[in-house]
Amino acid sequence: MTVGLQAEPSYGVPGKKRWAMVIDLRRCIGCMACVCADKAEYDVPLGVWRTTVKVSETGTYPKVKKHFMPRLCNHCDNPPCVRNCPTEATYKHEDGFVLQRYERCIACRTCMAACPYNARHVLPNNRSRVKIGGVVDKCTFCQHRVEKGLVPACVQTCLGRARIFGDINDKTSEVYRLVGTQNVTVLKADKGTKPQVYYIKPDRTIVDQEHTTPKSAAAKSDAEAFYRHNNGSKFFAGVL
Amino acid sequence: MFEYVQYNIAPWPWQLALYFFLIGTAGMTFVAAASPAVFGKVAEPFENSQKSSLIVSLLLLIVCGPLLISDLGMPERFLYPIIYFHWTSPLSWGSLFLPLFGAAIIGFWWGKIQDNAQLMKWSGILGSLLALSMPLYTGLDLMVHQSRELWSNPTIPLLFVVLSMTSGTALVSVIGMLSGGMSEAMTRLIRVVLFASVGITFWLFLGEVVTLWYGTGEELHAWEIINAEFGLRFWVLTFLVGTVVPLVILILPSMSSNPALVTVAGVAGSIGAYTFREVLLYAGQLTQIYY
Repeated sequence: MTVGLQAEPSYGVPGKKRWAMVIDLRRCIGCMACVCADKAEYDVPLGVWRTTVKVSETGTYPKVKKHFMPRLCNHCDNPPCVRNCPTEATYKHEDGFVLQRYERCIACRTCMAACPYNARHVLPNNRSRVKIGGVVDKCTFCQHRVEKGLVPACVQTCLGRARIFGDINDKTSEVYRLVGTQNVTVLKADKGTKPQVYYIKPDRTIVDQEHTTPKSAAAKSDAEAFYRHNNGSKFFAGVL
Repeated sequence: MFEYVQYNIAPWPWQLALYFFLIGTAGMTFVAAASPAVFGKVAEPFENSQKSSLIVSLLLLIVCGPLLISDLGMPERFLYPIIYFHWTSPLSWGSLFLPLFGAAIIGFWWGKIQDNAQLMKWSGILGSLLALSMPLYTGLDLMVHQSRELWSNPTIPLLFVVLSMTSGTALVSVIGMLSGGMSEAMTRLIRVVLFASVGITFWLFLGEVVTLWYGTGEELHAWEIINAEFGLRFWVLTFLVGTVVPLVILILPSMSSNPALVTVAGVAGSIGAYTFREVLLYAGQLTQIYY
């Protein structure tokens, strides 16, 4: 049962759109062009991201393999962030987008706590050009582009064509065909969020939740610097 | 796993842990203050500290409001959860109940000044229900997060209510001691309430431990985090200081009749009431911080 949503889940509903993304992990080369495209499209500040590409290595030299895992908001059909938002600042669009109304957001960060994918961040207050700050932000599936018949910026720029976007309710669409014919999975299906970002042929080790702290010296150092920069703690109220 | 890239924050910091504690304490302090008017003779021993308890409850509420608002990224929009009320968000309900609770305290106080028993009774009943909603909504605020398995647990709101009973009663006990000592009847009543709340806390603590021992992957991870990062706060401050010590004092007849020791039990229980919530709040967020 879905409660507290502004639009009913549209996946599989005839006559309705349900935008979705397929990410073919066989094609991702970890170039981070999608991350840069998003940064450019929205002037995303330093330290926060709308989309990321997680990187991991398995094996030991000389048999080493690098895995890439693009991550973004999953635009869930049953989004817990929407249900928990006290002001309906985050809401569900009838075509499946999960969007954010900056003018309503109080940055209580309930949506961040609710999201199992760490897909949300707080925009800093002291931005130089774009004046939107002190509110929670997230990937929008580039709704402003999609409504003009374009694909999201990350899809447009993906040079390996690892990201494929479309209406999963449209039986002629590529995403519909890929989800129907390929070995796809979604992240944390057990949480009941019905995520709409599908991954083709992921390595199980990079889909399952990993609980470990950073292992390599470089990652440990990065993590320490990150938390030191943010009030020296894992607990802080964003970059407000 | 997932090396070299960005790190995520735990969105709810210490302000929330402190708020959960203070608002619960304010609520249950008011319940104690209003109880002679609501429950009659059985709660009469609380009458002597009624005025002080009311003032302290109101002061705590006055502290809690700005504390919660200052934690917002957009503090000037603090009324939005009421203006744009979203019924599925416990935070919206809490924002609505918070000022109503303040109004009930003032109403009760006004009734006391006017010596209006009817006003005291009805504002006391309404205020007590609203006071109960304070720890309930903060517990629900965690419970509704289906993606955080440490929080998504129906005992959390109950636990928060019980922890607030402990800290609220402890505060009334301290007020009683500071205002010339507690009578035998008041000591007995406080002992009964504390014994019930700390006793339930003890069982809920064990329930939490067993749930985590036999839990899912994320719950087992939460268990590891609790022991690795919050071991002192969980085992020493919550379990030993906050639960076992007060239970021992409250069980032993030689100690439980001593007002000073009952107050010590309450204060120890309050320490546990704070750290228990703090550990749950933090550990629940840390389970997914590297995902």
